[in-house]
Amino acid sequence: MSRASPAGRRLTFEIFRFNPQAEQPQPHMQRFEIEETPYMSLFIALNTIRETMDPSLQFDFACRSAICGSCGMMVNGKPSLGCRTLTADLPDLIRLQPLPVFKLIGDLSVDTGVWFREMAASSEAWIHAKQAFNPNAAEERMDDELAATLYESDRCIECGCCVAACGAARFAKDFKGPAGLNRIARFMMDPRDERDDSDWFDVFATEDGVFGCLGLMACHDICPKELPLLEVYAYLRRKALTTARKRD
Amino acid sequence: MRRRCTRPLPPSLSKRQNSPTVTGDAQRELALELLSSGSGLVLALFMWGHMVLVGSILTGRRGFDWMAKSLEDWYIAQPTVIVIFVLFLLHAVLASRKIPARWRERAELRRLAIDLRPHEESLLWIWQVRTGMVVLVLGSFHIILLALDVLTPLFGDGPGIEAATSLARVQAGLWLPYAILLVCVEFHASVGLYRLAIKWGGGARLSRTMLRVLERVLLWFFLGLGAVVLLVLAGAIPPPLQFLITRDIT
Repeated sequence: MSRASPAGRRLTFEIFRFNPQAEQPQPHMQRFEIEETPYMSLFIALNTIRETMDPSLQFDFACRSAICGSCGMMVNGKPSLGCRTLTADLPDLIRLQPLPVFKLIGDLSVDTGVWFREMAASSEAWIHAKQAFNPNAAEERMDDELAATLYESDRCIECGCCVAACGAARFAKDFKGPAGLNRIARFMMDPRDERDDSDWFDVFATEDGVFGCLGLMACHDICPKELPLLEVYAYLRRKALTTARKRD
Repeated sequence: MRRRCTRPLPPSLSKRQNSPTVTGDAQRELALELLSSGSGLVLALFMWGHMVLVGSILTGRRGFDWMAKSLEDWYIAQPTVIVIFVLFLLHAVLASRKIPARWRERAELRRLAIDLRPHEESLLWIWQVRTGMVVLVLGSFHIILLALDVLTPLFGDGPGIEAATSLARVQAGLWLPYAILLVCVEFHASVGLYRLAIKWGGGARLSRTMLRVLERVLLWFFLGLGAVVLLVLAGAIPPPLQFLITRDIT
């Protein structure tokens, strides 16, 4: 597929506008038309619109290379990263909306931080160390395969696309969501974490945990980092089974 | 005892922990998941076995009667019809716990599935809910009808399934609800098994694409077999395997 689409295509953007700071905030869709350029990403397109048409347009970008996770947005209904979505892959009409579920700051800008902080706090998603850190001791070795698996889970940039695509997260406010379950699994696998499966059981084997999942698989399919989310859930489900057996 | 983290949480973060998980919640959720998935698995496997047994009509009335009589004489059919009905209702109650209750939520879920260009697995889930509801109505009717046939002398000569009454019922018009039930059941079961395999990690052994192909093959095989059986029962075509029974079965 040619990423440099033939020049001269006129793109129509329909962008969700809402400024809560305005005197009479009125959510609406606004149209912008711009000329497509070769290798144009949504990052470039939105900056062009802001620079040449409407300086009040709000959207988030930082790294432009799918690492910071701040440019998640609904692109024609599909949660995607603005920086790595090329207009050449999209039709002439492009509808941009903010990610659902998260708190809206304005226009396309959402606050994913609050959601992720609450998720991390409620599952205490950080290392609970076995002993006090001894800077003089040699590091404990970790199995290569395990380290690779942990790294795979750690590649999550918390952009929130999976949460926006999740049917369960839309309606169940306390559902940990795909990113949350991924994070829980990551700490369960980590040998440096002192909590054992039985400590985790009440966190992940609930309706807010993996059993709240409907199995729609959309999170796995749209994840911009292509994380193996389906394998994560299968791991958690099997862990629930073995932990319950051990507890009896 | 659940161990707490060593550092206390800042008050802004500990909001959710005001409602700590009630002990036993996880145990119950696991039990519900296992019961709903397990009942679905048993019902799907039963359906395929059932289709093969009803397939005895392909050898003609005598083959069908022999099959029915054997299952009843060995007291296999009588408890099965009761157990399956209980499992059937149990599965409906447990599996429906994941269906959004409000219309607005259902509409949003549908929108989500379509907007994802469209997302096939999400659409399959929605159709599984729809077919499940049809199966609950038509399947209940079918199981109650057959329970009456197996356990009471209401149809035919005494208790038990007979080819003559079965054919007469289907030809009197039951072919239509049975055709709808067949499509819905086969779709619901094969998609359900596919999702079950993915949920518990079957995708790691066989790839997801392989599982999808397997699902399609099973769906079309049993749909095809079911269609031929139904056509024979409706009297539209003669039993294609009649030549297999060349002598009297005693």
